[in-house]
This record gives sequence, C-alpha cells and structure tokens, in this order.
Amino acid sequence: MSISAEGFEKVLRYAELFKQGMICTVSISALTVFFGFFLALLLAIMRLSKVGVFKLIAATYVEVIRATPMLVQLFIVYLVVFSGIQLPDITLFGFIKFDRFFPGVVALALNSGAYTSEIIRAGIQSIDIGQTEAARSLGLTQFQNMRLIVLPQAIKNILPAIGNEFVTIIKESSICYTIGVQEIMYGVKAAQSATFIIAEPLLIAAALYFVLTFPTSKLIGYFERRMRRGDIR
Amino acid sequence: MAISDNLVEQGALISVYGLKKYYNKGKIKALDGVDAEIYPGEVVVVIGPSGSGKSTFLRSLNLLEPPTEGTIVFDGVEITDRHCDINLHRQKMGMVFQHFNLFPHKTILENMTIAPMHVKHMSKKEAEEKAHELLKRVGLDDRWNAYPIQLSGGQKQRVAIVRALMMEPQVMLFDEPTSALDPEMVGEVLEVMKELARGGMTMVVVTHEMGFAKEVGSRVHFMESGRLIEEGSPEKMFEYPESPRLQDFLSKILL
Repeated sequence: MSISAEGFEKVLRYAELFKQGMICTVSISALTVFFGFFLALLLAIMRLSKVGVFKLIAATYVEVIRATPMLVQLFIVYLVVFSGIQLPDITLFGFIKFDRFFPGVVALALNSGAYTSEIIRAGIQSIDIGQTEAARSLGLTQFQNMRLIVLPQAIKNILPAIGNEFVTIIKESSICYTIGVQEIMYGVKAAQSATFIIAEPLLIAAALYFVLTFPTSKLIGYFERRMRRGDIR
Repeated sequence: MAISDNLVEQGALISVYGLKKYYNKGKIKALDGVDAEIYPGEVVVVIGPSGSGKSTFLRSLNLLEPPTEGTIVFDGVEITDRHCDINLHRQKMGMVFQHFNLFPHKTILENMTIAPMHVKHMSKKEAEEKAHELLKRVGLDDRWNAYPIQLSGGQKQRVAIVRALMMEPQVMLFDEPTSALDPEMVGEVLEVMKELARGGMTMVVVTHEMGFAKEVGSRVHFMESGRLIEEGSPEKMFEYPESPRLQDFLSKILL
C-alpha cells in the first residue's frame, strides 16, 4: 500500500468525477429522505390505525424490508420492477442518467421509509395520550390533532433519530454505484480504473462523505436545540 | 328514543340512559348502568371512592371513552348514535383535565387560539382578542407569551379552563381539576371555578374537594362500583346520607 502526494495529484485530475459524484450523492439522498419520510409517515399512521388490514400491511412491509439486504432490494427494484418500465432518457445536471438514478432513489426510499416509520411510530406513541384527549375535547378532528398537536411534538422528540437516518442514507446511497448511478463511489471506481491508483480515490471519497454527513448532523442538532424553546423555564 | 325525548322536554342539557363501559370483554365494569341528567345552569359534583367510575362517567359524556352500551343525549342530539359527528358536539363541551394537558409546544395564547381558529374558523385577530380578555379574567394576561412549562400548576389549570371557555361551551366537564396541584394552588383554581358557576355555567365536576361541593354544588352524585348510588342536594348528601355506602364513604373522608 502506498499513499503519495503524487497519487493524489494524478487522481485529482479527475476531480470533475468527484464533483459530479457529490452532486449526485446529495441529490439522491435528499430525494430519498423526502420520499422516504412521507412513506414512513403513511406507514406509521397505518400501523397505529384501528383498521386491522392497514396494520397488517404496514407491519408486513416493515418486517420484509428490515429482514432483507439493501443490495437485494436495490437489484430487485432496478432489474425486476423497472425492467418493464421505460423511463425517460434524460440526464440531470447534464450527467446523471435518470433511468438509473430514479430506480436508485425508489429503492433507497422504500428501504428508508420502513426504518423511519418505526422511528415515527415510536415518536407518536411517546406523546402523552392526554394531548390527544385535550385536542379532541376542544373539537379538533383526528387529522387536525395529528397535524397540529401530536406530530409537531413527536417530530421534536425523534429529530435526533431522523437525523441519524438522514446521515445513514447519505452513506448507504453509495450502494447505488452497483447499478451505475454516478455518485461518489462511481467516481472512485472511474478514477481507479483510469489511474490504476487504489488508495487515494478511496481516501478522497471518505473525506467527501465526511464533509457531507458531519455538517448534516450538526445542522440537525441546531434545529433540535431551537425546537426545545418550549422546554426552557 | 322515547326516554331521551322525554328528558329533553324536561329541559335536561345532558341525559344519560343505561350507560355501561366494560373492559376486558366485560370482566371489568367501569360503568354498570348509569342514568343521569344534567340541567342547564346547575353544578353537578360527582364524588365517590377511587375506581368508582366517576372519571369514566365524566369522560363518557363527550365520548372520550366510547361507552359499551347506553345512550347520551346532549342538547337534543343523541351523540352515542354512530352517525353523529362527535367533533361538532365536543366543541360545545369544554373539558378540564387532572393533568392540565396544555400543549407544551404552543404558547399560552396559541394554546387558547388553536381550537377557535381551526374548528370555528375564527380569525387570528378575533381569537387573540378573546384570549387576552379571558386571560385577564383569570389574572394571567401578562403570561400570554409564556410556554406552559414556565407556569405553576395552578396557573396551568387556570389556562386550561379558559382554553376550554374559548369555544364557548354549553357545559364544562372537570375531571379532578385540583388533584394534581400543590395544596397552596388549589384555592386559585377553585376560585375560577366558583366564578364560573356564579356566572351560570353548567358544570359537571369530579372532585375530592367536598368544600367546593358544599359551597357551589347544586347537586351531588355519589358513585360506587360503576353505579350512581345516591344523588341529592349537598345538604342532604352530606348531612343526611341515606345509603350505607355513602355514609361509609363520608365517614372516611370527612374527618
């Protein structure tokens, strides 16, 4: 193993690949978080509903996702589900191939939604039932109670856990290079095969992931503190 | 329903007929057939040992506890009917809880305006004016921008009362409103409740404050084992209790 300044210099001639990789990783993670959150919310509410069928569907979904590897899910989504669907032949930011990028987002969101739904469910259940009773006694509907009273408090409680999930997604999105999504690891592979240098691209990738995840967790921490206003005497 | 029509004709605001609430498939009978009427302007105080079903009874009145069986007619509408939109009727019944249940993520003012704005579609300005007015009445207008956690227990409960009043309810239900308070704060909450009673508000109060029952109660209900055992004026109930169980209960608490 050899790491040298020279090596970095050579690899950095392909800086454009890493820049693209970063843009792609950020886009894929942001979209995953966005869609995954709504899926999770839906699953959590289904799981807490009084309707047995909803409960069963949500519980089964979560268990299946959690009991199977991400890589298998990704391949199933890309090679099976999307094999028969003609995605538009477009490129995002001039380089991201949509027909690979989109299945990647779908697979990650389906996976993340299952995990996040458990977090949201725990968050909703952690809110004292008295809050719901007070809201309902004032005439708020079940939906208004969720939206105005329970969820704002639940989200405050689960923000650290959601933040961890976001950070996890940024890291796990690296798996998408296996289906040819041009994220950071794809850049690593490309730089490695162009230069025959192994170590330096990986170190650059590690640094890039750190640059993405570290501020994200700090930012979540900031919002968490801000939302605790109501707890300060 | 023949019976409920009858009661409405007599002018009862709430009529309860054969109310039952079972848990564990009937193993636990929290309410075992309660009949009661609440008339406009009266203050009904519900007393009884713990586990007697008095809280369950109160919470059934606005269907926070859906009864297993029985009929409740409120303001001429059978609210226990499956097709009844309970949200519509809950706003006409204010409720105050033992543990206040203020919304901790909202300021005092927001706690008060949220229901009028979202349920009655009152404008923010109108709701806030009304909230300030009510807060002044309970001496808390200077705390309008505070969060619930910054208030003492007594202050929280006073806010909870005026929060319910924001919806201009026809009846106020109190579920042990002073039981979670430090002793020195009980008085300030009872004072607000007395004020409310003097203003002619219909009230149903589950409490252990016998002094309150004697002073402002128009009728006292004694419950035990999920049944309404005895009812009457405070004088009759406290001075001349008929049933041995009420006599026994009073002998334990009035020492």
